[in-house]
Amino acid sequence: MPYTKRIKRLSFLTGSVSWVLLLVNILFLARQVHEGERNAASPYLSNLLSVIFLVSVFLYQRQGMKVQKNPQFTSPLWKLFVKGGLSAYLCMLLQVGYPSLQTYWVNSPYLLDIFYQIVFGFLAYFLAKAFYTWRQFVLYHKTKDLESQWKWFEILVGLSLLVPLFNVEYMNHIFLILDLGLLMAYGLYMSVHLRWVAYLNLERKWGSILLLMAILVSVVLFANFLFQYADSPELVVDYTDNPFILLTLSFVFCYALASLLVALFSLPTSQVFEQKNADLLNFQRLSQTIQQGRSEEEVYAMLFESAIKASGADAAWLDLKEDSKKSLPLRNESPPDPIVQSIKKAFKELKTDSTQLSENKIFMNGDLLHHPAFKELRLPFQSMMVIPLASPKVEYGHLYLLREVSQGFDADTVSVVQTFTNQTILTIENLRLVTESLQNERYKEELKIASLVQDRLIPKTFPTDTWFEISSYSQAAKEVGGDFYDFLQLSESRIAIIIGDVSGKGISAAFHMAQMKGIFHGLMQQDMLPDEFMVQANSALSRCLERTSFITSALYIIDYKMQGVSFARAGHCHTLYYNSMTEDTFYFQTEGLGLGIVRDKSYAKRIHRLHYDYNPGDVMVIYTDGIVEARSPEQDEYGEERLKYMLSQTYHLEAEDIKSAIINDVSEFSNDILYDDQTLLVIKFKPPQPKI
Amino acid sequence: MKIKHTISDNTITISLDGELDASSSVMLDEELSAPSIMMFSKILVDCKNLNYISSAGLGVFISHLQRFEDAQIKLIFFNMQEKVRNVFEILGLDLLMTIVSSYEEAVTIAND
Repeated sequence: MPYTKRIKRLSFLTGSVSWVLLLVNILFLARQVHEGERNAASPYLSNLLSVIFLVSVFLYQRQGMKVQKNPQFTSPLWKLFVKGGLSAYLCMLLQVGYPSLQTYWVNSPYLLDIFYQIVFGFLAYFLAKAFYTWRQFVLYHKTKDLESQWKWFEILVGLSLLVPLFNVEYMNHIFLILDLGLLMAYGLYMSVHLRWVAYLNLERKWGSILLLMAILVSVVLFANFLFQYADSPELVVDYTDNPFILLTLSFVFCYALASLLVALFSLPTSQVFEQKNADLLNFQRLSQTIQQGRSEEEVYAMLFESAIKASGADAAWLDLKEDSKKSLPLRNESPPDPIVQSIKKAFKELKTDSTQLSENKIFMNGDLLHHPAFKELRLPFQSMMVIPLASPKVEYGHLYLLREVSQGFDADTVSVVQTFTNQTILTIENLRLVTESLQNERYKEELKIASLVQDRLIPKTFPTDTWFEISSYSQAAKEVGGDFYDFLQLSESRIAIIIGDVSGKGISAAFHMAQMKGIFHGLMQQDMLPDEFMVQANSALSRCLERTSFITSALYIIDYKMQGVSFARAGHCHTLYYNSMTEDTFYFQTEGLGLGIVRDKSYAKRIHRLHYDYNPGDVMVIYTDGIVEARSPEQDEYGEERLKYMLSQTYHLEAEDIKSAIINDVSEFSNDILYDDQTLLVIKFKPPQPKI
Repeated sequence: MKIKHTISDNTITISLDGELDASSSVMLDEELSAPSIMMFSKILVDCKNLNYISSAGLGVFISHLQRFEDAQIKLIFFNMQEKVRNVFEILGLDLLMTIVSSYEEAVTIAND
């Protein structure tokens, strides 16, 4: 801030110059008095110069004073004493030395004037410093009203500088004296704003009291110098005529005295305040631990410390239920383990005798020695408090506090400690929630990866050939699904296409789906018939599928040279077919049990193969139950009939368009809400064309 | 999903009411896994109010099928809605499990 710096520099300059000029003027005035010499000096000039000096000094301090932001009040007090107050003691030394100085060293009539000017300089500096230090204290935790009150006080005090400026003998004007009195009362009123004292702890209070006493002595010393020589005929100026000095001096004195008294009388209560303040701070610390990402142990440790401080317990320990091995490190406050065990044993006996039976209530006993079980232990403790750490759902443990005095825990302590434990539980639960949500976030990431991996398992493009068109659609309801389809070119003219649906959804379904793909590629290398494949696949899956899981699947082997398709259906949805010769749309009604339902050799009896010769223009629709079991908002099922109807309306289109038409219809029906994975393959046969 | 059972002699009749989805099939699995179920020789499942069965629900029946067969406990479904029956049929379970139309029929078959 260059502005304040400039003012500081300027006021420092004018201050020093005016003081020197003042001294010169005074000396000339003294010459007039002592030697009758006529010179340019005049009493009015010294009034003017003193006012400039005062204004400069006060302005300098006003700019230099830092705003009190924290309750470190001893340091400004110390500065005030060292920089301002000490000069009073220095002046006292001068005064003591003054007579001898006059006698032995210099005998000059000007000496007193010079001494008086030095005192005046120090006084002005001290007053300015004290005035603005007090301002910081008065305005600590200020209100808007207080701020404007102080502003007016400063302005009115400043106005009193006009009195010497206009060279008015205020003593002669009754209303000026009255005004002065009123202003002093105003200053007295400002002196009751002593909020800062409450923010001192015991140690600081003592420090402040000492400093305030020293400062008060400085004020008294300064006042003494001022008034001692006030009407001395040897002096050419008299600053007691300056109401500004009197006003500031009285205010500085009043405020210092008031502060001293308040600090002194609040000493006995300060310990209570300190305790409350510490409780508050501990509470704050506890509640902040969540943001700071502390561990549970640290939170418990904080509770332990805070509870001991708040209750003044002589011994304490924390018993944590969950993994009880992980107890807190032993502290000075916690009794050695055998004693803890014996106290706990005695406590159990005590509890059975007592009416406070409930597990989750605070237990308190102020007369332990009345109970034989405790008396036997010969321990010094007479009061005991046991606070459960429990939320409505979980019990975390118990906090044991012991004191050596009887009736050692009052209602206030209990409520404070309880607040601590409540906050601790809240913090612990929040911490766990945060960890949990982080964990969930990780799972989500893993799922995303699984979803990507699964996506790669499903072929995006089928081989394009002239004899058929294939169009596919697949959509998982969750990140990963249990639907799958795949193909394998068996020979130049034969292709195997498989579709399947693993029961259940999610990760386990995705695993089995990948497994099924492996089985498909492994077994079909040997070019087997569809029903043989199903028997083999059932046997392979029986060994690894959990009891409640099963897989439905259908395998189609299309031979375009022979213009035939042979397939087996293992519990999968019926194949929808459009025959272009008969212009008929129908479902192949074949029998076949799902994979993994019967896990022995008898499965071979339950799977059948069907062969069908196709015509060019025929359409085959292969799908999973997610399509026919799609639900409308009214909970109706899409159903096989509607699917059949859709094909009968669209068979003449390209495979891609038939697929889109069906998918659009399904999403319209279900209002785009996906309950299950959906997969749809549309195969349209074409007449064989010679390759070019 | 509500599961009710009525017991008479060596027969337990389990009535399923509602939708047998992934969450309610856990309830059913607990019911069928209880050791006490092995004390009966006939388990009749009333599917009159069973509106929907998911693959998880089917999986529960499938997983207990072999166990009941080994213990010579008869498992008979009756009063099955067309929709639900269709699901059983597509999967091929109608040939594996006994599904009849009425309670009387179920009792007759159970006593054979």
